[in-house]
Amino acid sequence: MSGQLTSVLRSLVFVLFALLLCSAIFQTSGFSAVQVLNSIAEGAFLRPNAAAQSLRWGLPLFITAVGVAISFRAGYFNIGAQGQFYIGSIAAAICAEALTGAPPIFVIPACFIAGMAGGAFWALWPGLLRIRSGTDEVITTLMGNFLASLLLIYVTSGPLKDPSGSGQQASSRPLDSSYRISDSLGVSPVIVTTALVTGVAMWLLVNRSAFGVLAGLAGRNGQMIRWLGTKQWQLGLASFLISGALAGLAGTLEFMGPNGRISSGFLPAHGFTAILIALVANTSVIGTAVASLFFGGLASAALYLPIMVGLPASAIDIINAAIALFITAKSAFVDRLLRVGRRDHG
Amino acid sequence: MDEMIIAILRSSTPLIYVTLAGVLAQRTGIWNLGLEGLMIIGACATVLGIAITGSFLQGFLLAVGLCVAASVLLWFVIERLKANQIIAGLGLTGLGLGGTAFAVEAYMGSQVAVTVSSGAPKAGPVLGAFGVLSIFVLLMPVVVLGLWVLLKCTRFGLQLAACGEHAFAARSVGADPSRIRLIALAAGGVLCAAGGAELATGSLQLFAQNMTAGRGFMAFAAVIFGAGHPVWSTFAALFFAVAGVLGIRVQLTFGDNIPHGLLQTLPYLATILGVWVSGKLRGGAKAATLTEEQSDV
Repeated sequence: MSGQLTSVLRSLVFVLFALLLCSAIFQTSGFSAVQVLNSIAEGAFLRPNAAAQSLRWGLPLFITAVGVAISFRAGYFNIGAQGQFYIGSIAAAICAEALTGAPPIFVIPACFIAGMAGGAFWALWPGLLRIRSGTDEVITTLMGNFLASLLLIYVTSGPLKDPSGSGQQASSRPLDSSYRISDSLGVSPVIVTTALVTGVAMWLLVNRSAFGVLAGLAGRNGQMIRWLGTKQWQLGLASFLISGALAGLAGTLEFMGPNGRISSGFLPAHGFTAILIALVANTSVIGTAVASLFFGGLASAALYLPIMVGLPASAIDIINAAIALFITAKSAFVDRLLRVGRRDHG
Repeated sequence: MDEMIIAILRSSTPLIYVTLAGVLAQRTGIWNLGLEGLMIIGACATVLGIAITGSFLQGFLLAVGLCVAASVLLWFVIERLKANQIIAGLGLTGLGLGGTAFAVEAYMGSQVAVTVSSGAPKAGPVLGAFGVLSIFVLLMPVVVLGLWVLLKCTRFGLQLAACGEHAFAARSVGADPSRIRLIALAAGGVLCAAGGAELATGSLQLFAQNMTAGRGFMAFAAVIFGAGHPVWSTFAALFFAVAGVLGIRVQLTFGDNIPHGLLQTLPYLATILGVWVSGKLRGGAKAATLTEEQSDV
């Protein structure tokens, strides 16, 4: 427990470092750092209906982040969540297009399955390359993100193009309203239930199943797993597939819920934020849920800032990026700081 | 034909400078995924610097200063705080993309592109039709060859490669891997500033949000595809740039009959293929631990 407490405190110290760096950037750009951070806190957590906004952005992020956490736990550095999210949304959109006219009770589950299969497929090939040929998954999943973005541009400006669409961003035809699982506010029983079911299932998988224990062990000590006679390639491939399927599920939710369509380059920071959430939470499922609400709040502040207080939305990107810069740090200095702190309190 | 060559040189030069920065980092054992961020900082600082001071040189110096500072920050986080280099690099990229967007809005009061009246110095009429090329294009072959000689023939270059391949061996002959990584990343910062400056002021004279559009990642792909070798990686970057220019030509000629995204996928597909083949050839350490099980099961 005290080890876990230390890791939480360490995360918080580095988040603090990150905020200091952000303040320096805001200040040198000619804004008052205090005012910017204040507005962000207000937009993210303090204004009325902030909780609903946090959930709207946090729930899909949570689903993707839990998947990322599972592949990280198993020792695979799958940074392709963004691509898996896109391919999932594309697969769901194609499925919805193909089944247009069928009753929603069939179409919605079919789209969920298609989206998860799409995301899983986009994690399958890097997983196979990694496991069969030792091809580094960091590169393949990163390149996969760019390929998925290009594919998204292709389908939204080609096969699925909305001919009435205007503006610079190519979009698919809007999903028929009877198939939508939420309005544009994005918090509905279907979405909340999906996130809850995912969270509980993944918590059970990680903490109460042989798979979770072995996968966690495989990530920390691959040798141990071999001595136990476990088929490590099965564990590895399963963790790739789960993380891909969950990112694809999040893409499906965004498509069938708040967005109602897919657009080229939509939600470009989703995968990166999900990776960040998994790292901040130290890959624990419960930690991921808490961190998702925090980063969901920040994401909602990105819409609040320019409209309500006239600040650039990129302030949120800066905060996320600065947290990413520091979150994996393991500093002897900070550990010493934490030890000193504990002694003072105890 | 001249026009085609000019187009290729212009689109490849920024990519090549950034690729060389990636090569330097790669050789010391750091996968620099912050290249995209460094490049856009270079582009933005050059343009804002020109807008403020009116002088290209001062703008470029500002870019060099900021890119080196950002590289040193990355070094500090990776080497001193022992952060994961992939995540820290992606963080730096996010910081660059977000920070420049923020700076432009702070400076201009809106998201419009910043245009300036002067750009990088040009070669001039001595070169005829090629006189429109900037000095960065002319210097590029010199920098590529210079880096190749540095890595291949100098004591420092060998130390640099040694600390990527076997840091313990490097340390045992008195080289300090951490210090060498600092020098390599800082030098990479200068190269990224040059790449960004060429992108923003080589032929255009403006900066727009997110104008690097993934070029930093493409440079990283070129580093991987070129196996970290300065000349091979340069050719990889050149190849990606040619594919990009051809993609535009194909679209102009055939319109929407051919999906124009197809050629854009080339750099990424090539990199996946490259890293797969090199993994097979080297039979990488990671592969050994996992493929063993397959024969067991």
